[in-house]
Amino acid sequence: MFKDCFNHEGFLSLCVFLSMDFREHLRKIIHVDMDAFYASVEQLDDPSLKGKALAVGGSSKRGVVAAASYEARKHGVKSAMSGKQAARLCPHLIFVRPRFERYKDISQQIRKIFFEYTDLVEPLSLDEAYLDVTVNKFNFPSATVLAREIREKIKTKTGLNASAGISINKFIAKVASDINKPNGQKTIPPEDVIAFLEQLDIRKFYGVGKVTQDKMYRLGIFTGADLKLKTLDYLQEHFGKSGLHYYNVVRGIHLSEVKTSRIRKSLGAERTFSENISSEIYMLAKLEDIAEEVERRLKTSRVAGKTITLKLKYSDFSVQTRSKTLKLFIASKALIMEETRTLLYQEPIKDSIRLLGISLSNLNTDQSKSVKTSAILKEEQLKLPF
Amino acid sequence: MKFIISSTYMLKNLQTLGGVINNNNTMPILDNFLFELNHNSLKISSSDLETTMSAKLEVESNDEGEIAVPARLLLDTLKAFPEQPLTFHKLDNHTIEISSEQGKYALAYANADDFPTPVNIEDASETVLVGDILATAINKTIFATGNDDLRPVMNGVFFRFTEEALIFVGTDAHKLVKYSRTDIKTDKPAEFIMPKKPLNLLKGVLLGSEEDVQIEFNESNAKFSFENVELTCRLVDGKYPNYEAVIPKENPNVLTIDRALFLSSVRRVSIFSNKTTHQIRLKIAGAELNISAEDLDYSNKAEERLTCDYQGDDLTIGFNSKFLTEMLNNLTSDEIKIKMSLPNRAGILTPVDGLEQGEHITMLVMPVMLGNQ
Repeated sequence: MFKDCFNHEGFLSLCVFLSMDFREHLRKIIHVDMDAFYASVEQLDDPSLKGKALAVGGSSKRGVVAAASYEARKHGVKSAMSGKQAARLCPHLIFVRPRFERYKDISQQIRKIFFEYTDLVEPLSLDEAYLDVTVNKFNFPSATVLAREIREKIKTKTGLNASAGISINKFIAKVASDINKPNGQKTIPPEDVIAFLEQLDIRKFYGVGKVTQDKMYRLGIFTGADLKLKTLDYLQEHFGKSGLHYYNVVRGIHLSEVKTSRIRKSLGAERTFSENISSEIYMLAKLEDIAEEVERRLKTSRVAGKTITLKLKYSDFSVQTRSKTLKLFIASKALIMEETRTLLYQEPIKDSIRLLGISLSNLNTDQSKSVKTSAILKEEQLKLPF
Repeated sequence: MKFIISSTYMLKNLQTLGGVINNNNTMPILDNFLFELNHNSLKISSSDLETTMSAKLEVESNDEGEIAVPARLLLDTLKAFPEQPLTFHKLDNHTIEISSEQGKYALAYANADDFPTPVNIEDASETVLVGDILATAINKTIFATGNDDLRPVMNGVFFRFTEEALIFVGTDAHKLVKYSRTDIKTDKPAEFIMPKKPLNLLKGVLLGSEEDVQIEFNESNAKFSFENVELTCRLVDGKYPNYEAVIPKENPNVLTIDRALFLSSVRRVSIFSNKTTHQIRLKIAGAELNISAEDLDYSNKAEERLTCDYQGDDLTIGFNSKFLTEMLNNLTSDEIKIKMSLPNRAGILTPVDGLEQGEHITMLVMPVMLGNQ
């Protein structure tokens, strides 16, 4: 067991588990989740929709329901359900076109409220976010009271209801926010964490999807308590790397931090052509345009990348990628094209092409580096052309 | 094995040799000086495997023998003595004893056989140069060399001996210095790349020396001999970039200016430049040179005006002030010329006066592209 704990995450959890003063390192995490967000916004903007079964999206022939109001949910309408099926379940269902700009707008207002409390905000989507309020701007000790205040503020500012879960880590907070939904909140205090996890259905565990759930059931694991009985060795034998994760999570250990910004991993651009092309010269001309777009995006984000990837989609929709890792970070069109050209001519093109794309990954998003590149992008030290 | 030597004479020589020894050696024997005694001549050597340097010292002795003595300990001891004769005496218990007027000091020595022997330079070509000329050539070029492990050839100075001149080049791809002497020629053209460390050692010893330095070299090694000293080193392997090709030929804009005034202006203004690019901006129009810098991150900025002699079109060009300062500092002339063509082409610095007959210095510096142009 100890050997297995010496990977990074494992080692950390072992420290928490065995030696650290548990209390001192407890975090206070709030998971805020807007209730039927898209549908509620529509009902807010058009009062005639209030109290009615409503689905956002799903009206077109092959459309899918993006969100459903609580009235519609009563009839079994769920998000990701096809419009056809939803209409069958709830004949008086009203379909509305989604207006993402508007949702984004409101989401921004809500995020602003979060930042009044803490800078540690991790947005998961337009309608949910994790907040770390262990240290908050009001130095207020009770996360439960803060959550209530945040929800009230959202209600007064936007007129929308939010639910919240409060606990010691992201996973438990997220499970908790579902408990008293809609328009409610639930705190799982540290002393109740273990009991809460023991009674929790295995399906609700973070990282347990349909496949894992079936596997767990087959192994006779239905609740947290069942999971807790299994040894680490046993879990690793059956679930590989995730074994340690399950072993920790059921013991209240989930160290994932509230990440304020998601670090961009790659950046690129691609074009689909109205007609398939097969001439490499013509492809190069198209790639010039794409490279220019990539350069523009790199400059806007003030990053440069070390790995360049050329994506080719053939007329039969099969996709091929060719990539190369360079010694230096590149961000300029000239260098991108130079490498793209080598990648293009690396091997013959086997068929006509319907899409071309260039992307850069291995970005220098590490802070010290990005500061440097931003300066270089603006004021570039030139080199002798050896 | 026993000999008597003057303390300061020994210290002076050992301090030079000590420069070869690395601080963290993988081979403990390299932390020692090798002593090879042959009656009145004591040859002391130090090595880091790449570079080996030795000096022959006169001593009073009738003995012969070889031992390796801990370098740091010996240097520290010698530094603490006033000038006096010291007697070194090898004892049976693997120590060497130093007797001074004040007392006795015993150092444990190592076996001389473990010390690496310097390479023999086979099929060597040969050139002779006055010490001070070599030191000047090194001094003018070494600051421009790079520190990039990916391009090791640029971490050294390029020596090129032709029928017209001896040429020395240093570059890190941002700046380049070419130092040539048309007053010294060779009938057997040759070229090689010298690593930085032995050059720095040579520069230290040779500055101001009127003695001849004999250079023997083949494809992989070079040996420099002068007075009582010999330095053998491995050469940098690889092909030096074609430096002639990057020196711009057409440079219609020529600025002539007092070096000291320009240097102090650049120094003052550069304090206000961006801490990453160190960019300063030269704006030249008519007989006025405007030097400015701005650090947008902190809203700092500075601007100075100098009168100059300028022939060419109005021009605004950015340079890294660190590079300019280094170059201006390295020159000794009263006036300098900067020849330029475009804001994205290299500027060429040359001294106007103060050169010896046959001495030529060309310094290239690549611009920093101006951000808001």
